Amino acid sequence: MEMRDIEYNKSSYVETSLGNKVSRQTILCGSQNIVLQGKVIVQQDSIIRGDLGNVRTGRYCIISKDVVIRPAHKKFSKGVAFFPLNIGDHVYIGEKSIVNAAMVGSYVYIGKNCVIGRRCQLKDCCVIEDNTVLAPETVVPSFTRYSGNPGVQVDDVPECQMDLMVDFTRSYYQHFVPEKRSKVES
Amino acid sequence: MAYIVEPDVVRYACMCGLLKPISRLYFCRHCLHLRCGFCVCHEVDSLFCGKCLENLPSTEAKLKKNKCSNCLECPSCHQQLSSKAATVAPKNPEDPKATPKKVIYLCCLNCRWTTRDVGIPDQEVGKSGWPEHENVHTNRLNAIMNHYKKLVLKEKQQQMDKDKKQRKYTTSLAERTGVTASILRKRLGMTELKNPLLEADDLKPAVASKEIVDSIEHLLTTPIKLNDITTIDQRLKLPDWQPTAVDKLYPVHKQLSVKRSLRCRSCEHNVSKPEYSPNSIKFKIQLFAYYHIPEIRIVTVEPLRIGKQCELLIKLINPTQHQTTITILPLEHLDAIQQEDTKVIEDPPETKEPLSFQLLQSSLTSHPRQINAKVGTDVSIPTSSIILPARDDAAEYDDTGETQNFQDDPKLVVFRKSNKAVIKLLVAPMENLELGEEVIAGFTMQHVYTSTIATTTENKEPQKFDHKMKIYLTLGTLVGSQ
Repeated sequence: MEMRDIEYNKSSYVETSLGNKVSRQTILCGSQNIVLQGKVIVQQDSIIRGDLGNVRTGRYCIISKDVVIRPAHKKFSKGVAFFPLNIGDHVYIGEKSIVNAAMVGSYVYIGKNCVIGRRCQLKDCCVIEDNTVLAPETVVPSFTRYSGNPGVQVDDVPECQMDLMVDFTRSYYQHFVPEKRSKVES
Repeated sequence: MAYIVEPDVVRYACMCGLLKPISRLYFCRHCLHLRCGFCVCHEVDSLFCGKCLENLPSTEAKLKKNKCSNCLECPSCHQQLSSKAATVAPKNPEDPKATPKKVIYLCCLNCRWTTRDVGIPDQEVGKSGWPEHENVHTNRLNAIMNHYKKLVLKEKQQQMDKDKKQRKYTTSLAERTGVTASILRKRLGMTELKNPLLEADDLKPAVASKEIVDSIEHLLTTPIKLNDITTIDQRLKLPDWQPTAVDKLYPVHKQLSVKRSLRCRSCEHNVSKPEYSPNSIKFKIQLFAYYHIPEIRIVTVEPLRIGKQCELLIKLINPTQHQTTITILPLEHLDAIQQEDTKVIEDPPETKEPLSFQLLQSSLTSHPRQINAKVGTDVSIPTSSIILPARDDAAEYDDTGETQNFQDDPKLVVFRKSNKAVIKLLVAPMENLELGEEVIAGFTMQHVYTSTIATTTENKEPQKFDHKMKIYLTLGTLVGSQ
């Protein structure tokens, strides 16, 4: 199916010179530690915990509504250390998902209501289906599809997943358009 | 998006008659046919562990029973185990010099199962590897396995002897003179060379005992604690032991994953060959249909009513680097051609044999299965065809007005941008459909495929072929009649 337009209220979004579209109703803690590489959409009520550690996203990442992104921690004998969280290019994170991973590769699809446990590693080209709960420290290899609670591999993804994700995130960005009404006002 | 999480609404018919989304299909550019996962030969390219991403040669993997030697899984919930550090007080606390010892144990972070639960001793820091849980019957199992190997060899030998007797005319000099290697050895006074596997073994057959070892009386007298009993899944994860109680669960080595290359079954050319490294997502050969066949997407469809012509907008995308022409033809068009083709095939021309497997060849000539889709609408077939320009990655960044000069039929082409075009078709659901039934439309798509394989040295011009395939669109449910 061809994607439909997703309208947003232009006044409630900030658009940067790199093409990032960030909602004003987000909680970006430690914004100096958050790097959005360009053409990234951060939708309302999402939380990015840059105060815990560096968060870096690639190009064409989509962070949907009510998503929580926070860098993973590890307990050591002398205290707790947080790891920087790197997210690759063309990554989609569905609504109400919580990402506590150590690494998210490129071309990754995370569905709605997922919990990505502490220090998980999502390799390139993997799919996490809706409502999946990944146990802490799970490694999701490339070209696999995980589902369930706890998340287990249920299937594989097609070999052209990379281009499917590139196409999906690009068209999402293109179809993420300001509301018609606000366009007239401006 | 349809290919990642949504149901498949646009399906292409593979040569075998199965319907698959374009993302799951391959296009062999040598036979010019669509191939699905069942029409290709799967070959294991490399074995690797999905957790530590270590690459293992196939011989080593076979020795390790296709399991990773480093990564362990929880026997209770089958998630990955991680090692946890702990400190243990020194043996003699009065000694002031003694320092607390650091140890490691394995813990499942999902169900909190630990190796301490079943009494596996903690490992010292720096010491690698966990003790293997040996099966008490290992020797017996090995003896039986050897015995069967010998049986196989013996049977093979007997078969060979039988074949030898049946052959009357021998051409070998050794056999004509009757001087074979074994006779020669006898004449020279040497002992006969024997295969160690052929020697008789002293395997004692198992004896059934009258007494039941495990008393089942306690099952009748004590109440069962379900929490202490393993599930079927947990038992089957440890096939050697199949423990019935949870205190007998031991960590399991993680099963290896494979990277596989795919080969077209009829011409044996590769259609997919991944790079060797388990980290890499790139391919050396990638003949996926998604890169060669025009993609079709449903844009909108009017509510479907019986007897009413509904508008269906579909988007055509040309993924190739060459201009193509797409023609929509009726579904029956391809059937007629295929019938003609089969007539020709009945008298097969002398062709060069493929590299191997004549058996495969014979299996391929079998007729494709009936396509399992009930077409419920008539599709109005447009008279003109659509020209789609080549894919241009730079056009994505080009916001200036398009200057495409295609003589389009305005009734057919609704919208056009770079290598994409939206066309309008009219569908009319058939009378025999019931309310709420899913409506499937079908047509044949013909497109011009430009082959870039240089067949001869003189002919460097890319060759063009008309390629046809059947497309089935699931349009949604019937909402009523006119």
